Amino acid sequence: MENFTFRENFARSYVLHHLTPEQLADILDATEDGIVTVDSEHRIVLFNRGAARLFGYEPSEVLGQPLNVLLPEQYHQSHPRDMEEFARGPVESRRMGSRRIVSGRRKDGQVFPIEVTISKLRSGERLWLTAIIRDAEERKRYEDALLRWNQQLEEQVRQRTAELMERNRQLQEKTAENEMFVYSVSHDLRSPLVNLMGFSEELEVAVQQIGGLLRDPRLPSEVRDAAESLLQGDVQESLGYIRAAVERLSRIIDGLLRLSRAGRVEYRWQAVDVEQIARRVVDAHRTMIHQRQATVTIEPLPMAWADPDAVEQVMANLLHNALQALDRPTGGQIVIGHRPTPSTTFHTYFIADNGVGIDPALLPRLFHPFQSKPSASRKGEGIGLAIVQRVVERMGGSIGVESVLHQGTTFHFTLPALPPTSINSDIAKEESSA
Amino acid sequence: MTHQRLVILLAEDDDGHAQLIERNLKRAGVVNPIVRVADGQAALDYIRQGGNGQPLLLLLDINLPRVDGIEVLRQLKADPNTSKLPVIMLTTTDDPREVDRCYALGCSVYITKPVRYESFVEALRRLGMFLEIVKLPSPPSSPST
Repeated sequence: MENFTFRENFARSYVLHHLTPEQLADILDATEDGIVTVDSEHRIVLFNRGAARLFGYEPSEVLGQPLNVLLPEQYHQSHPRDMEEFARGPVESRRMGSRRIVSGRRKDGQVFPIEVTISKLRSGERLWLTAIIRDAEERKRYEDALLRWNQQLEEQVRQRTAELMERNRQLQEKTAENEMFVYSVSHDLRSPLVNLMGFSEELEVAVQQIGGLLRDPRLPSEVRDAAESLLQGDVQESLGYIRAAVERLSRIIDGLLRLSRAGRVEYRWQAVDVEQIARRVVDAHRTMIHQRQATVTIEPLPMAWADPDAVEQVMANLLHNALQALDRPTGGQIVIGHRPTPSTTFHTYFIADNGVGIDPALLPRLFHPFQSKPSASRKGEGIGLAIVQRVVERMGGSIGVESVLHQGTTFHFTLPALPPTSINSDIAKEESSA
Repeated sequence: MTHQRLVILLAEDDDGHAQLIERNLKRAGVVNPIVRVADGQAALDYIRQGGNGQPLLLLLDINLPRVDGIEVLRQLKADPNTSKLPVIMLTTTDDPREVDRCYALGCSVYITKPVRYESFVEALRRLGMFLEIVKLPSPPSSPST
């Protein structure tokens, strides 16, 4: 289909040659849009019905009047200048204010939004400017509504963000409270424990002394034998249980203290060379690595935004776990590496071993304190991973584990790649001041 | 002995802890008199009254009733009359911040309970010039005849 402009269409039209000026005026009058033409003096020379409906003037009231009668006062200076400029310029027709809505003024003084397209009309030396004017009230209403919705949406997002930050703050406060509670309770538990430890040692000293007394030859042998069997049997056994229980208690309390401290110690945020820390940690474990004839590989690791001591704590704990998981006499392999992810804000690091693996039943609660069942290969009170998780989360990261029994385990954790944005830095600030 | 005997002032509210410390000091051969007080104020009072005119070494628990150990330490170190007094902090915590605070306030040694008595006595010996330690000729388990 040929793409005629209206002008071409119109020029070819049969109708054109039979139209009288009155009929042409009827057509102009029939359009919904306002059509206003001014001469080079900016006096109104054409004013159709559409324009009359829009502006509330009868054509007879405005014909011959300056265009300014249709404009709000604030444009009376600038608008004629703009018109002159347009008239002199090369552009034949343009939409005023591009997609912007401009204003017109009704007879009753009311200012209302309009869209205006302006074009030039020449006849010899004379120049007219014609404006086609459309009521933009409705469009403006839509745009205003859209703007309001947008603002409401932004306000909602702001509120929700503020709520989340508040919730976050409360959670941190709660966590800090819990940790303070755990700290003070475990601290208080230590005092009676010191007595249990000290006095069980006192009892052992006393047992030795009684043993010495029993060597007195004046004692009847049956008394000595009975007393000695009591001392070496019942008493020693009881002391043995007490000692073991006290030691276990002591380890649990120390673990709790360390866990609560992991949440309370202040962090020194900085760019951290994770690879260098990995080397240091591996170096610190070289005796254990040598004993197990294990191979530890450190792949290139990206820098993180974190606390160097905390990263070292995490790395050391996970490496220690990995080494303990190696059960084979030779061929034990551990890889410390970086896992590429689409994220630009976080790096994912991992420590993988080809050791015994973890029982799937234990996986869901692996990071809970005191949940891992102590076994021959796993010493300690199962608080190490709880501390590691707490430390990683305090740095804004997360930790996870994948494990296949008898094939190996991979711990992976994320750390921020960059200093936090303004929102997160508030959290970080609260964190570090908590 | 011609010099004045060094008195060990033990500020400890837990009877068991106090008993253990006294026993173990004696077992390690320390024969200096030990005076025990059960709270911080009593320790300050004893020191400010000059004891019995004898030189003092203070073993100071941190968690004490009335005036806690940190405050006792602070007051002693702030007073020129008592600032030279050797103070050994005894506590169940090994919180690095608390340790730092005690050293910053001027304690001589910081020892965590349960006390390892060999190193404890060694520390005492290094501190208290007049600490009298008598090595018993034979272990206490076999009483001399």
